[in-house]
Amino acid sequence: MRERATRLAWFVSPFLVLIAVWAITIPAANVSPRVFPSIGGVWDTFVEMLLDGSLLANTGASLLRVVIGAAIAILLGVPFGILMGMSKAVAGFFEPLLRFSVALAGIAWIPIATLAFGYGEGAVVFIVFNAVFFAIVYQTLLGVRQIPVSLLRAARSLGAGRLRMFFEIYLPGAMPAIAVGARTGMGFAWRGLIAAEIIATSLGLGYTLFLARQYYETDVIILVMIVIGVLWLIMDRLVLVPIERRTIQRWGGRQGVDE
Amino acid sequence: MSATTVTPATRCASGWDRFWAVALRVPGIRTWGPFAVLLVIWIAVAVSHVVPAAFFTDPLTVWNTFVSLIERGILPAYLGDSLVRLLVGSAFGLVIGIAFGFLVGLNRHVRKFFWPLLLFFQAIGDIAWLPILVIWFGFSITSVTIVIVYTVMFPLIISIVSAIDGMPQNLLRAAGSLGAGRWSQLLYVVVPGTLPGVSSGIRTGLGYGLRALIAAEMIIGTSGIGFMMFDARGQGDVAKVFVGMIVLGVLWYLVDALILAPFEKETVERWGMVEGVGR
Repeated sequence: MRERATRLAWFVSPFLVLIAVWAITIPAANVSPRVFPSIGGVWDTFVEMLLDGSLLANTGASLLRVVIGAAIAILLGVPFGILMGMSKAVAGFFEPLLRFSVALAGIAWIPIATLAFGYGEGAVVFIVFNAVFFAIVYQTLLGVRQIPVSLLRAARSLGAGRLRMFFEIYLPGAMPAIAVGARTGMGFAWRGLIAAEIIATSLGLGYTLFLARQYYETDVIILVMIVIGVLWLIMDRLVLVPIERRTIQRWGGRQGVDE
Repeated sequence: MSATTVTPATRCASGWDRFWAVALRVPGIRTWGPFAVLLVIWIAVAVSHVVPAAFFTDPLTVWNTFVSLIERGILPAYLGDSLVRLLVGSAFGLVIGIAFGFLVGLNRHVRKFFWPLLLFFQAIGDIAWLPILVIWFGFSITSVTIVIVYTVMFPLIISIVSAIDGMPQNLLRAAGSLGAGRWSQLLYVVVPGTLPGVSSGIRTGLGYGLRALIAAEMIIGTSGIGFMMFDARGQGDVAKVFVGMIVLGVLWYLVDALILAPFEKETVERWGMVEGVGR
């Protein structure tokens, strides 16, 4: 309990330092609110947007798109990555294509996605799906390759069939890498989401951000940026990191990224 | 490593695997095979008209558009603009990212203070900075460059830190007990041990840097491949969008084949934990 409190304090204190710097420098340097807002300005905007419901509506729209896109991507990407990784030849054959696609995944698809789905929900979800899918497939492939050969041989010589190899060797063996892939993929899907929302919708955090730019409302911009950061931290700390830590502790041979 | 010897695993491989193994030995198939398959599928889909022509087109139209864009000098000029932006942005991003990655990974106190901030600023994401950057620097190269530096930096830092964490402690203990000091441990154990992580960080960083560039060009839009694609989308010129995507893919493929893959091969095969036998 006490250890947890210490860790929380260590996690929060850098932000307190940052806020203190913000609170001191902006009035001291007499910065115009058109360039950078004061803490009070951002807080007022926060309360205002919370009360008129626009903050919740936009956040909800963005979150829903991420969840739908990522869920489809994980469900399709993990089996695909393992199937490719299971055979050295297949993995070798598709790797050039995969590299090609990884470079193109996400943002480069925005023009095509908006042509195919029109400006709106479908295009944004497709961009999120795209970003997560390729990260997951690539990491799963790497994860399968990192399973110790002796483990594969042991399972095979003990008579494991293809199905059992898939569920009892490849899937658990690739789990740590899949968790890492999900985490990076989600991180980049979050960015792709913002870009897609700036271009393709009339609701969502990205859209709010870009609308505010037109009127030089830096307080709205900074507020939305903080919301974007905080939402990601919550997703990351409360969902993705625990999953990653569990899988690595259980199936991987090493410690997690952050203690 | 004895990759060529027959291991029990290859001996019990199925006929399908053996077919693949033989097919892949034909020169050219390994590199161009997947793309040939893709091209055939593309032609088949285009001919059958399954996908509406509003967002799909055939290879010939794309090729003609490509040739005309080159003849009119538009493509070379835009490609040049994009490349310069990417080069400048990633150069700064790499230097800052590598320095900061090792600093955060190796020093406990630096890590304690900066790790939460790193997570937070990485979470904000490159594109979210674009609106405020536009207010500060206008629709300019500076805004685009800062976004790229920002994007390249974070994956690099995070993969360096996780590579340092992932190093087997026994290696450090062994080096230490054999009498290596702090600096020689860093030079001969930590740096080689993290190079696979550095190389994979550079790969992700550059890959996403390229994407941030495209997004910034679409949104800020004055020139560049991203601008060309988005402009073409507005005119409903699907072939031009396809040309843009293919050019981006080829560009990435060249960067990958000429720079990233050789570096990765050197580092991962020499210092990484991937076994290349019997799969």
